Amino acid sequence: MQIATMTIDEIRVGIREQKFTAQEVVKALFQRIKKVEPEIGGYITLCEEDALQQAIIVDEKIKAGEKLGKLAGVPVAVKDNICTDGIRTTCASKMLEDFIPPYDATVVKKLKAEDAIIIGKTNMDEFAMGSSNENSAFKIVKNPWDTKRVPGGSSGGSAAVVAAGMAPLSLGSDTGGSIRQPAAFCGVVGLKPTYGLVSRFGLIAFASSLDQIGPLTRTVKDCALSLEVLQGNDPMDGTSVKEVKTKSYLDGLEEGVKGYKIGIPKGFLQKGLNEEIAKAIEDSIEKFKELGAIVEEIDLPITDAELSAYYIISSAEASSNLARFDGVRYGYRTEDFQKLDELMEKTRTEAFGGEVKRRIMLGTYALSSGYYDAYYNKAQKLREKIRQQYQEIFKTYDLIITPTTPSLPFLCGEKVNDPMEMYLGDIYTININLAKLPALSMPCGFSKEGLPIGIQLIGGEYTEDKILKAAFALEEELKLSTIIPEGKEEI
Amino acid sequence: MGFETIIGMEIHVELETKSKIFCSCPTTFGAAPNAHTCPVCLGLPGTLPVLNEEVVNLAIKAGLALNCGINYYNKMDRKNYFYPDLPKAYQISQYDLPICSGGIVEIEVEGVKKEIRINRIHIEEDAGKLVHMEDEPHSLIDYNRVGVPLIEIVSEADLRSPLEAVEYVKVLKSILEYAGISDCRMEQGSLRCDANISIRKVGQETLNNKVEIKNMNSFKELIKAMEKEEKRQRELYTFGEGHKVIQETRRWDSGKGRTVSMRTKEDAHDYRYFPEPDLTPIVISSGLVQSIKEQLPELPPAKKIRFTEEYHLTDKEVDILVGDKSLGEFYEGTVKLGAEPKMAANWILGDLLRLLKEKELGFDAIPVKEEALVKLLKLIESGKISGKIAKEVFEEMFITGNEPEAIVKEKGLGQISGEDVIEKIIIDILQANPQSVEDFKNGKLQAVGYLMGQVMKATKGQANPQMAKEMLEAKLKE
Amino acid sequence: MKINVEEVQHIAKLAKLRFTNEEAEKMAKEFDSILGHFQSMEEVPLEDTKTSSKEEIKTVLRKDEAVIFEDKAKLFRNVKQMRDGYIQVPKIIE
Ligand SMILES: [Mg+2]
Ligand SMILES: [Zn+2]
Repeated sequence: MQIATMTIDEIRVGIREQKFTAQEVVKALFQRIKKVEPEIGGYITLCEEDALQQAIIVDEKIKAGEKLGKLAGVPVAVKDNICTDGIRTTCASKMLEDFIPPYDATVVKKLKAEDAIIIGKTNMDEFAMGSSNENSAFKIVKNPWDTKRVPGGSSGGSAAVVAAGMAPLSLGSDTGGSIRQPAAFCGVVGLKPTYGLVSRFGLIAFASSLDQIGPLTRTVKDCALSLEVLQGNDPMDGTSVKEVKTKSYLDGLEEGVKGYKIGIPKGFLQKGLNEEIAKAIEDSIEKFKELGAIVEEIDLPITDAELSAYYIISSAEASSNLARFDGVRYGYRTEDFQKLDELMEKTRTEAFGGEVKRRIMLGTYALSSGYYDAYYNKAQKLREKIRQQYQEIFKTYDLIITPTTPSLPFLCGEKVNDPMEMYLGDIYTININLAKLPALSMPCGFSKEGLPIGIQLIGGEYTEDKILKAAFALEEELKLSTIIPEGKEEI
Repeated sequence: MGFETIIGMEIHVELETKSKIFCSCPTTFGAAPNAHTCPVCLGLPGTLPVLNEEVVNLAIKAGLALNCGINYYNKMDRKNYFYPDLPKAYQISQYDLPICSGGIVEIEVEGVKKEIRINRIHIEEDAGKLVHMEDEPHSLIDYNRVGVPLIEIVSEADLRSPLEAVEYVKVLKSILEYAGISDCRMEQGSLRCDANISIRKVGQETLNNKVEIKNMNSFKELIKAMEKEEKRQRELYTFGEGHKVIQETRRWDSGKGRTVSMRTKEDAHDYRYFPEPDLTPIVISSGLVQSIKEQLPELPPAKKIRFTEEYHLTDKEVDILVGDKSLGEFYEGTVKLGAEPKMAANWILGDLLRLLKEKELGFDAIPVKEEALVKLLKLIESGKISGKIAKEVFEEMFITGNEPEAIVKEKGLGQISGEDVIEKIIIDILQANPQSVEDFKNGKLQAVGYLMGQVMKATKGQANPQMAKEMLEAKLKE
Repeated sequence: MKINVEEVQHIAKLAKLRFTNEEAEKMAKEFDSILGHFQSMEEVPLEDTKTSSKEEIKTVLRKDEAVIFEDKAKLFRNVKQMRDGYIQVPKIIE
């Protein structure tokens, strides 16, 4: 069994047709993990025993001829900011190093209901704040394509484990690009759904109005299949979409892009964009044209102002969301304190990493009396303007295409000392969260050095089906999804 | 030169819902510590609030009952501050767009009617309860109350004395109780008052520094605390030390009988309010408001007018009867069952209130059934028992809960109306008191009173007094 | 400088974080660069932006139904110390 390169679809079909058992899949996968993981650092927690138990249950179901879930026997890695009942959920923070949730996130419940098998919790930037995964309190994640380089962030672990053949499916969370950017850096498919399509219940919040959970997979079809399982209204999440807008994404996935109107933002190619990335994007655009899509330049400025709005809103919400971590009820508590104030201050100071503290400070500042209007309020207005801009465009166009990132995966340590430089790397992804839209990143080529390049397909609200169809068509053309990092093919 | 007192009230009221504002935990009072908690109200990482529909309905109802405007578009905000009774370190409340704005409550103090303006009513969640352990390095937290739905009713600074303020709270309380918005039990904390008090010279336009007083848990403490604070500030102004009145929050210490400073404005919080991103704005339809308006029961102001007109009661009687929902309902219950309105009022305001007070029972714990009181009144009307005996019977009913007829029978208290029985007793009395008979014949009419007393004494008060008096007079004139 | 060390320390107090003066100075510098970027918002005309229309908003409410979360051992498994059903914490002085 070539577990490292197997897709979700191959695994679930194989198990159904009894070519192999779920236990064989889990065992093979853990062998693979034991071999590769020390070099990558993609996991914070592994649940081998539990996973085997789950596999036994699936195999028994098959033997008994019982009805199987859509993801029966499929191993899933879950980002460590998504709550799992009985499994430590740390957010890669010293603050929650020993925290064991008493409940499952809705997405985890949905996966379990479809007989998927949770194999472990993936590494990330602390509390999902970061674009390089260097902000994990525990260990750095390495890019499987070049271990001197970062895998991107904050879902760096989730992207790396899929790229390195240590999971066919992982869950990530995306607040400003945290699924798409690491997917691009690691050469996998990552989707950030429309805000509200997937329940956030159980996702430890970074920025509530921007966060979305989404899948990272090896293929577009796997992505479509996973989204079918993850989506849907949740009465526990008041921001999840109420009306049934859920679709079957596998139906008509091969329909192609003939007649699609695709918009390309004017001038984005010049904006400090890496040349190799620009070239790869242009090649993909050509492919879409060949496939029958109508491609036009559109007026959609991508500006610093938007990046500012993003950092203000996300930091403001984060400063409030992370206030509950004070050492009083659960999580880390400082050893040495006299009064309660001191307990809280020292706990937070000792247990939060530098980037988390910086964002809390920034957010607290933006909300503090006297600055609210200049920062938070203005950012909200700008956000609304951006949302309306996109809505207008999607009246005419089916998709917008941009690069996912302006640069190739950078070296570990390269940007740690310049937060602003790091923030600028999110220029193509943050708008999508501000506008609450769906977007997918998929591999569209490699640099001369062999580093993956990601292309971003953006759709209107709840048009994940269109995005997936286009992505599937491009994937068929490029045939990149079966390539895995050199030296990592064999088990 | 005179001073005047300016008071504004902030009143937190727990809404009568089955479940909490953002989760499904029950809201019932008195459960074991932390029995009514779940991941959501404990603010565990990853959980999200979902707003309880009934909270919106009751808040609208409160707005309508207090003559407020309903804001068809309003929203929840986060109020950020660190304190262990707040598990998320923010309270979900409403900031710039509350559910209700404006409003009027009419009060009457010493015969003078006055309108008190309400600034706003907003929805928010309650906090948990801290138990401070003496001589121990620990505190204990009970989060049962966290997430219990509240409305905060903020008045304008229209009140001019502690007396007015207390009256305002009383009127508010009775309206909220009648409308079924809250049970308003101050002793259980389901109605809590904070008062903002300042003093200024009569004629002065601007307001001086105000002091907020918290932690007044009964009407008695409310008036005491406000009078104490009023006095403290007046003295400072009188002695030219007005500058010592600083903007601060003071806690009423009922044990010590004084207010104690909690925090001053300098270390005031910066709450960093911002719109709650986990909740959609609250958009209210006019249809909903209309249907809530239709459900609204008769409220005390209207009820007072009706009681006066229909039952011909005095203002004072109406005030007491309508002033409390349970008492008013009890009264109307007896009248509906056939009690004569004036007579029922006399009994309820007299013997019933006296006994409740003696036994320290609330109006919601009247141990006598409406039917039973009506039966008692019928016994009096039909002459079966005298008013005096009825008092004894009522007391027995109050203590044992037994039916009046049963008590009368068991204790042999039935009125003696048999003519021959009474006649025999009268003859005996007259024979035993020749002097009084003589006095009467000599024109001392008051002798009748003495002889009557003797008759009642001999019958242990059970003689039908009217009948006995007529027969006695007839005998004397023979 | 848009923000000085004192301001950083004031914000830190609000956020319940502690910084040495050196750390605060470093943060003030970083803030300067970040807040400098935030100036970019000034260049965008926002007067013409409509706020999202009320028709678009669907208020999400839940029914008023009470359910008890039964597994209290699980619920409080991360609490450092329980006592007679209470959460025990270091002394809180009012
Ligand atoms: Mg309040
Ligand atoms: Zn709860």
